[in-house]
Amino acid sequence: MTEHEHYEAVVVGAGPGGAAAAATLAQHGVETLVLERGADAGSKNVSGGLIYAEESAPYTIDQLFPGFREGAAERPVDEYYIHNIAGEKVETFDLHDIHHHDTEWCDAVLRRKMDSWLAERVHEMTRETGGGLLTGVRANGLLREGGKIVGVTFDELDPITADVIIAADGVNSELARDAGLMDWEEPEDWFQGVKAVVDMPPEAINERFDVADDEGVAHLFSGDLFEGVRGGGFLYTNEDSLSIGTVFHLDSLSVERAEPHELLDSLLTHPLLAQWFQGEYHEREYAAKLVPDSKKVAHPSPHRGRLLLVGDAAGQMQAQGPIIKGMNHAVTAGGLAAEAFAEAKSRGNEEAAGTLYQQKLESEGVMDQLRPTRYRATRFLSESDAVNSIGSSLLDSAVGTAGIKLFDGLLEKSFNSPFVLGMIPDTKLSYVTVPTRIAEVLGDPVYDENDVEPPALDDRIGDLTYDVDDPHIEVLDNSFEASGTAVTACPVSAKDFGGGCYREETVETNGHEEKKVSLDTQPCVECGTCAVVADTHWEHPSGGKGVEFKQG
Amino acid sequence: MPEIDPTEHDIAELGPKIKDIDDEQELEEMLAMEKGGEGRAPVITLIEDRLEKVGGEDEDADPSEADLTDMTIADIANMIRDVEDIEVLRDILEREKEGKDRKGAKSQLEKKINNLEEDDEDREEVEYVPPEEKHPDLKHPTADKLYVEGTVDGEYRDMWVYCETQQGELLDVSREMLGKTRELMDGYNDDYDEDEDVIAVLIGDGVDDLTEECLAYGADRVVYHDDEQLTRFQHAPYTEIFCHMCRDWEADWRDYHEPRYTVFPATNNGRDLSALVQGELDSGLASDCSGLYIESADISNPAKTGRPGETKTFEKILHMKRPDFSGFEYSTILCIDKPHRDFHPQGASVIPGSFEIPEAEPEPEGEVVEHDLDLPEEWFQTTVTEYDQLDEGVDLTGHDVIVAMGRGIDRVDPTKGIELGLELTDQFEDAGFGLSRGVITASYEFGGHVEQYITEERQIGESGQVVEPELYIAAGISGAVQHKVGMDESDTIVAINTDPEADIRDFSDYFIEGDLFEVLPRLTEALAEGKLGAAIAEASDD
Repeated sequence: MTEHEHYEAVVVGAGPGGAAAAATLAQHGVETLVLERGADAGSKNVSGGLIYAEESAPYTIDQLFPGFREGAAERPVDEYYIHNIAGEKVETFDLHDIHHHDTEWCDAVLRRKMDSWLAERVHEMTRETGGGLLTGVRANGLLREGGKIVGVTFDELDPITADVIIAADGVNSELARDAGLMDWEEPEDWFQGVKAVVDMPPEAINERFDVADDEGVAHLFSGDLFEGVRGGGFLYTNEDSLSIGTVFHLDSLSVERAEPHELLDSLLTHPLLAQWFQGEYHEREYAAKLVPDSKKVAHPSPHRGRLLLVGDAAGQMQAQGPIIKGMNHAVTAGGLAAEAFAEAKSRGNEEAAGTLYQQKLESEGVMDQLRPTRYRATRFLSESDAVNSIGSSLLDSAVGTAGIKLFDGLLEKSFNSPFVLGMIPDTKLSYVTVPTRIAEVLGDPVYDENDVEPPALDDRIGDLTYDVDDPHIEVLDNSFEASGTAVTACPVSAKDFGGGCYREETVETNGHEEKKVSLDTQPCVECGTCAVVADTHWEHPSGGKGVEFKQG
Repeated sequence: MPEIDPTEHDIAELGPKIKDIDDEQELEEMLAMEKGGEGRAPVITLIEDRLEKVGGEDEDADPSEADLTDMTIADIANMIRDVEDIEVLRDILEREKEGKDRKGAKSQLEKKINNLEEDDEDREEVEYVPPEEKHPDLKHPTADKLYVEGTVDGEYRDMWVYCETQQGELLDVSREMLGKTRELMDGYNDDYDEDEDVIAVLIGDGVDDLTEECLAYGADRVVYHDDEQLTRFQHAPYTEIFCHMCRDWEADWRDYHEPRYTVFPATNNGRDLSALVQGELDSGLASDCSGLYIESADISNPAKTGRPGETKTFEKILHMKRPDFSGFEYSTILCIDKPHRDFHPQGASVIPGSFEIPEAEPEPEGEVVEHDLDLPEEWFQTTVTEYDQLDEGVDLTGHDVIVAMGRGIDRVDPTKGIELGLELTDQFEDAGFGLSRGVITASYEFGGHVEQYITEERQIGESGQVVEPELYIAAGISGAVQHKVGMDESDTIVAINTDPEADIRDFSDYFIEGDLFEVLPRLTEALAEGKLGAAIAEASDD
């Protein structure tokens, strides 16, 4: 047997889940090593930008890291609205109740700043246990002995063994896949989010959003501005910038062959946003990420042997209707995983950590939030095509319209019910048709003119920072049938655009023409979309290589 | 009552809480409560551990009175750490012998007493037993080596540099090493008021032509062995010749035993030679170094000093820095004599590119010595029957003109596009042919005759080569920023593109809106007739 370097705990990934796990482990005196593949913690991480602290949660980020809100977050978000849009007509609902339901606080965040702040503290805490935090190291798989998981292998370091391995390595977790716990198969299991961070001086934010220095606001957008693709948009206020993005069901995005960057532009250029831009637009950063739909993929048993999955890696991303909560669940899961190991260790049975972790996720109610039983119960019926077409025609009828008018107040109320939102089916009806009808019937037109020009895709790519390495993604089948969807679905590719990752090419072989797909990983933002929609062998770049987000 | 009742808490919760309790009394009470309650073993251990820690902090046992039977061996070791009085220690030792008489405790005490006694008396040297006598059951290959005698207190001088050559030229790393060793020996001669040299060693066929160059890059003396049998690197003759040079007592220019330092390139051949030579000279080797410096070293390892507990300063030590764990850490390797055996030369191999190539001295001074030795046949039992030369790679920098092709070549036919680009390239006296990354990563199927040009080494841009020719012709390239950084320092940029909005237009001197399949043949033709300027002007006007 080869002798490997050993730690009691190895945590892979220094996002909020990994940070929470490492901090909790350190509090229990567990020798903990944290490994992060970014050149700096946060340089690989993207999120829409709201982190919640739930009253009922056993762990919150500011409990684990005192001073978090002052040091790492942007503005607290107190107000929350959703805009139902049909053409230029808009009907706005106040989502105050659902936003504040079980919410202790909610802050907008930018991940580069947040995660690097966390990493500094994690390093201090874990160093005292005999471990620490290393950046620029990519975990590439699990180390097994006699079929059992005993450690982690890396691009940059020799394998390391551990009594517990906490994989908080994000939505494209290579460890979760190596263990056979997650896969990249079904587009319907995923959302894809793209985001622009837009410059805006603090005074302008205060004035245009009618907030004070330490106040912020969130706006959601749904309706007919996204070419019928199921999903919506968001806008959050940071200290001196806005996070504006769109989130779509990946299956819908694929089928419609929609271009994510164009859908984002439809939102950015909608007249409703003119009141906030006032003709000025400077984009700091364009980013993208996959979002697991926890209703479908949150792993009910996220552990195997010594490996425990935390956060996105375990599919723990809750889409509560239009509100997406992920980081808070990652923090809770990280804390619970660490606690489970500490408890198992004090009982002298480290092997029990996984089972304990699973029990804790259930007893703390995390699992029920992530995979509501009522969604499972109603999904079959409400997502079937027949029901949807009936629903659509009903809405278009006079009766439907009267219903919307009559129930105006009730609609806003039902948007604010976590119970109803947990049942919302993933169909065009709920994402597009209903909001559109709401706006058509109830909405007031917006007359502002929005003439901002978001940058073209090649400029967005050009503005990102890359340290290009050897290709980390390989297209296994380059026929258009197998991998052509990536040309449109990839957020840094587009049809008839040669400077992106995926390009459609017509190749002449033996006299007949064939459509093929070629890949250049140079502009890759590592979102993982093509791993799902194309036939690829997908890995992350080595430590410190690839894209480096400055905002995140 | 203690603040925390342990029986009401999980073990996991208690861990962090108990850390903050410093009151012994409180802990004792908690311990009693747990024992009276569930009596969970890990909790009891947890509290006891804490008690021990809290108790240990303010209670220093008096060594002369401590009750040894109550103490663990570790406790005793801790207790005597600061005791300097031999009498007290002897007393403790006696009491331990009368008491529990633990071997571990006694050895701790005896060791401490010995150390103190040694400090008092003159330190005695460890008795030297030659390894052959000490371990008669082991093989001792060193004893069979040709020159093993005389390796104690030998005379060592100079820094020897193996200058590797290839096809009649010095490798860059050889120049780098000469520059570095020159600098090192200049410092050395100043620091130690010595007059030692940089010796360049050349072995091969036709190397006599290179002696002057070695002097120019920093050598004081070149020793070379030129023989037509030495065309290709071979282990046996190269090693034998190098070692013979190092110990050539018949040579009249040297009167020392062996070189003080040797430096080799960490190339494939250099690595082989360095290991073989250092082994034969019975010394050590620090391989793959990236930094070298000479200074003294304070060493307290008794294997090197000969006297335990003593620190000795070794002068003139070559510090050899090498990357470990893929460069995450660095180690500094020292090669130091032992009391009964010298380890010289202190040898290193150096990673190419670690040091700068120095300016060559235009009129160098120095000695050139031809090494005189008959090469016996048995050194050439291995013959090289076949060899192949790897592609040198494509260097696009330094050309007057670069013709670069982009994804515009798929407008008609990628193969034809490449052909047109190559034809244009051929019209210039000194032109290189480059590609955008988009072409290299495409799935185009190229005809066999142009396929050889579609390689990554022709890529221009951020992840490829950066070129600054006098004339850069970009055909069918849109000019993404990743490409721009590889070429926008060119003197004159001519871009050909069907899209008048293409980014490249912003940083081109001439922009020809048109299809490269029409424009390139016209440029080629114009060049053939010597009228390029006119053709560009004409095409731009179209």
